[in-house]
Amino acid sequence: MRWEVDHTSREALPRQIVACVRRGVASGELAVGEQLPPAAELAKALSVDRNTVLTAYRQLRDEGVLEFRRGRGARVASAVTEPAPVTEAARALVAVARRHGLGRQDLLRLIERMT
Amino acid sequence: MTASAFPGRHSIYTGRVTNWPLLVVLGAALMVPLLSLGSLSHGNWLDPAGPAVPLLTAAVVVLAIVLAGLRVRTAAGPNGVSVHCGAFGWPHRTYRLDEIDRAEVTDLPMSLWRLPLGFWWTPRHTYFTLRTGPALQLTLHSGRTVTITVPDPHAAAAIVHEAKSA
Repeated sequence: MRWEVDHTSREALPRQIVACVRRGVASGELAVGEQLPPAAELAKALSVDRNTVLTAYRQLRDEGVLEFRRGRGARVASAVTEPAPVTEAARALVAVARRHGLGRQDLLRLIERMT
Repeated sequence: MTASAFPGRHSIYTGRVTNWPLLVVLGAALMVPLLSLGSLSHGNWLDPAGPAVPLLTAAVVVLAIVLAGLRVRTAAGPNGVSVHCGAFGWPHRTYRLDEIDRAEVTDLPMSLWRLPLGFWWTPRHTYFTLRTGPALQLTLHSGRTVTITVPDPHAAAAIVHEAKSA
């Protein structure tokens, strides 16, 4: 799996690592049950502190994307990569858009303009 | 998009390969003759002709396969190519970028003389391989080749090229 972090970016490194894992899960590169690299090895390869990787892994565990098992490291627990609050907000947005007569393409255009 | 265009950007490739079926088959192939030898012996347990020696050898062989030949983890990027084998990440070897001449994808054929299992080396080659088929091959400036089984050898080779050109 390909990982990319930008040390000069204003986005925090743990968030960049979280985004890498999310992309890997979403693209199917990381299947459910797949073991992630140990934090120390990944940190060394990415030239970041081990705690930076652990912070990212813990955030993903709290969101249900990863699970930690003693002696088996961090594994992918779920193929759902979007955080629950984002999914809820997206559902609400779709409902409001339908009430106002906006279709799928209108919504996609709106999101593209905003992001 | 290369790393040189983005000096702070670190692109790496990580991969992990395990081949349980091959390990079970090879473990059984090594165990059966040794266990047969042990059961055919008629001496006492600790006699040189007794069953203890073949059984102990069989146990050591299985333990070595499980510990050293179980899996291969690879990380490739600007810090070189790092390989960890086995259950506890040993043996472990890191090849710095300045040691690596080139990285390419090679095809490992099935052969009795080149059994693709675990970590082994010859005077000019090092293998961290668990299966036949495409694998990452590093050619070092010393002339030594290092062959590593990774899930996506093309992606791993591309990352090494990218890091070297940065």
